[in-house]
Amino acid sequence: MTPEPTKAPTLIQCHSCGAGAPLREHFCPQCTNILQLSRHGDYFTYFGLPRRLSIDPADLEQRFRDLSRKFHPDFFYNGPAPDKLASLERSSYLNDAYRVLRSPAARAEYLLALEGLSPLKMEAGATGNVKVPAALLEEVFSLNEELDEIREARESGTPREQVVARLDAARTPIARKQDEHERLVEALSARWDADQSRTTLEALRECLLERTYLRNLLATIDREAATLATA
Amino acid sequence: MGKVVGIDLGTTNSLVAHVVDGTPVVIRDASGDALLPSIVSVADDNTFFVGREAQRRLLTAPTRTVYSVKRFMGRGLSDVKDEAAHVPFTFAAGNGEALRINLGSHALTPPEISAFVLRELKHRAEEHFREAGEFDFEVDRAVITVPAYFNDAQRTATRDAGRLAGLEVLRIINEPTSASLAYGLGSKDRGTVAVYDLGGGTFDISILKIEDGVFQVLATNGDTHLGGDDVDQLLVARIVEALRAAGVAALSPEATQAVRKAAIQAKWDLSERESADLRVEPAPGLPQGFRQAITRAEFEALIQPLVDRTLGPCRQALTDAGLKPADVEEVVLVGGSTRIPLVRRAVEALFGRTPHSDLNPDEVVALGAAVQADILVSGRREMLLLDVTPLSLGLETMGGVVSKIILRNSTIPASGREMFTTAVDNQTAVDMHVLQGERELVSDCRSLARFRLRGIPPMPAGLARIEVVFQIDANGILSVGARELKTGVAQSIEVKPSYGLSDEDVEQMLIDSFEHAEADFDARLLIEARNEAESVVNATEKSLRLPEFPQVAAEEFEPGEQAKIETALAELKAALLGTDREIIQTRTLVLNHATQHLAEVVMNRTVKAALSGKNVSDV
Repeated sequence: MTPEPTKAPTLIQCHSCGAGAPLREHFCPQCTNILQLSRHGDYFTYFGLPRRLSIDPADLEQRFRDLSRKFHPDFFYNGPAPDKLASLERSSYLNDAYRVLRSPAARAEYLLALEGLSPLKMEAGATGNVKVPAALLEEVFSLNEELDEIREARESGTPREQVVARLDAARTPIARKQDEHERLVEALSARWDADQSRTTLEALRECLLERTYLRNLLATIDREAATLATA
Repeated sequence: MGKVVGIDLGTTNSLVAHVVDGTPVVIRDASGDALLPSIVSVADDNTFFVGREAQRRLLTAPTRTVYSVKRFMGRGLSDVKDEAAHVPFTFAAGNGEALRINLGSHALTPPEISAFVLRELKHRAEEHFREAGEFDFEVDRAVITVPAYFNDAQRTATRDAGRLAGLEVLRIINEPTSASLAYGLGSKDRGTVAVYDLGGGTFDISILKIEDGVFQVLATNGDTHLGGDDVDQLLVARIVEALRAAGVAALSPEATQAVRKAAIQAKWDLSERESADLRVEPAPGLPQGFRQAITRAEFEALIQPLVDRTLGPCRQALTDAGLKPADVEEVVLVGGSTRIPLVRRAVEALFGRTPHSDLNPDEVVALGAAVQADILVSGRREMLLLDVTPLSLGLETMGGVVSKIILRNSTIPASGREMFTTAVDNQTAVDMHVLQGERELVSDCRSLARFRLRGIPPMPAGLARIEVVFQIDANGILSVGARELKTGVAQSIEVKPSYGLSDEDVEQMLIDSFEHAEADFDARLLIEARNEAESVVNATEKSLRLPEFPQVAAEEFEPGEQAKIETALAELKAALLGTDREIIQTRTLVLNHATQHLAEVVMNRTVKAALSGKNVSDV
């Protein structure tokens, strides 16, 4: 779920006593009643975490369990209808938030959206095909050529070991590039956590796009290898 | 407020349990049975029978007796063609609506048939509370378990069955997770646990992480049409083949059930012994009966493919949980079919550790359901179950492709949102088709419902922004809400379930069931009389078989006493073949009276023996 970009209210009104509560609260500080889920919060605030890319998984998990215990529908079974609804919505939101925050890739994508950067969907070029990130043009061209030749070789009856060897050779530079990107993503994430600058975030976004593209390339090679194995 | 219970509504047997002083206990019937066979039968006079009585009628009235109805819950006529061929009861020719099974002059949906089983359990629990001297003995709320891999339609059908039985269904919970609650009780356990649940008709695997009393399911998988029934069917096919070779071509419904009974008995025997007999009792069209030996090795070769079918889902669940088999610290076996040695070996080989089954695999699911019921009504917070949705939820998009909104193994409650807009000016409605399943194409997924979103304010095409929210609640059941964001107007949604019953259907069925209440009451009295009679018969036969009986008879009996007992016994057994309740009750009293002296004598001797034993050891 992408957050709303508009200027959002910063208080939730308690449906029980009418007092206003900050978005990070789950229960009314005045009357301790469960609060309705605001449509304007975000996953980081919900977990009581700063908007950072590095998260300690054990700490996140502990927070998830603690919050589950606070507002799972099991514990509001006998409550009034508005409390039951609040518990259902808060639990659903908690589960969605946990799923996103515990995966580094989903977490990064979510944070980019929160900061107003366009989502990491593959951008379509003029032909309708996915646009190749500029930094990868060279690799992509040579890989595609090589894959075409490998397919031809396979179809014209070249011995399997030779085809397998060529495929392995084609995979190596892409896999190396992928490793480089993993390290770069880590470095940029750490830099964002330290400086929170727009430039860092934009560089990170570019890097994530390239990484996704590289993953797809590796998947293509693996599919080719699978065809070879079953042929 | 009345009492709450936990119910395991099984394919083969059902159970009811409740919590006493923090400990879950299974509630037994008057003769001490915990298991209620999930079988419903109807007599010519429209009397319904449930449980043991209905089970007996499998052999005498097979076309009027329904078993394994759980396999038909939440399904359509076209889904069940293969299975329909194996059962002696028939299906009403439907016109695309809810599936109906012919039961005498009735054509009942699977939830209605399951409701008979649930009502019987409700009654059993109420009797129990009444006898315990509880002032408020009515049972009005229950947690009911379902296979983890049940889809939305199957869960909804189960909840409908509960409503039809007069129960408020507090929660639908998954069988393997329910079992884990019973196992994790009171222990400060933490770790990763796999629950392998092979029941009468369904298979589930759930991988859980337990910490601080939170039972979090990481992944689940399964097959809602794989279980002990399929094992029986393989043995049945083997017998039928042998009979065919011996010249018996077609079997009467009675003979079919006699064959099935023999198959089940052989399956049980082969869990204990290296060889057994497939022994079919004589039946109409099969006057000689049938007998053939089978070794455990032959049995295992026969069922190996079925056991192998459980391993794929286990591996998938592990992958989805991001674990390797060695990461699992404990493996728990649930379900009667895990008594089969081959199943145990397969599980042990896959996970590389000995599975444990300290609790009775038949009872553990009901015990967990009772625990969950107690958590809900008491607000106890030391334990919390966080389950997942077993199947992805999606919407049909252009070209018959499914776009996923909530992915499988998402922790529930879970929600998903999708934005819609209009395609033409002043369009006021949008149609949606919701599906469940992992495949890409609509035709390969399970259709759940079609929705029509109405009341969109008229505006130019593409301007409306309608947010549809799909909410899966803690029961794993879907609800849908929508809102036009520009105007903030909530949209009304018309739901047409693809297989289930509408709310109006359920209401009508509730009215109908009150009309049957009187006939049901008579049937119940008969069943209770029979159960009582049977326990007296069993106790008497046991005494007569005691090794010291001849000595007792010689030393203590009055002249003619033994003959009196034997006559009363024979007369009661004869009465049990019929359905006259008063005769059964009278003869039960006669036998009870005739054996009173015998019972006292046996009891005295036991006490004396115990006391003298004690004296000797004291000396």
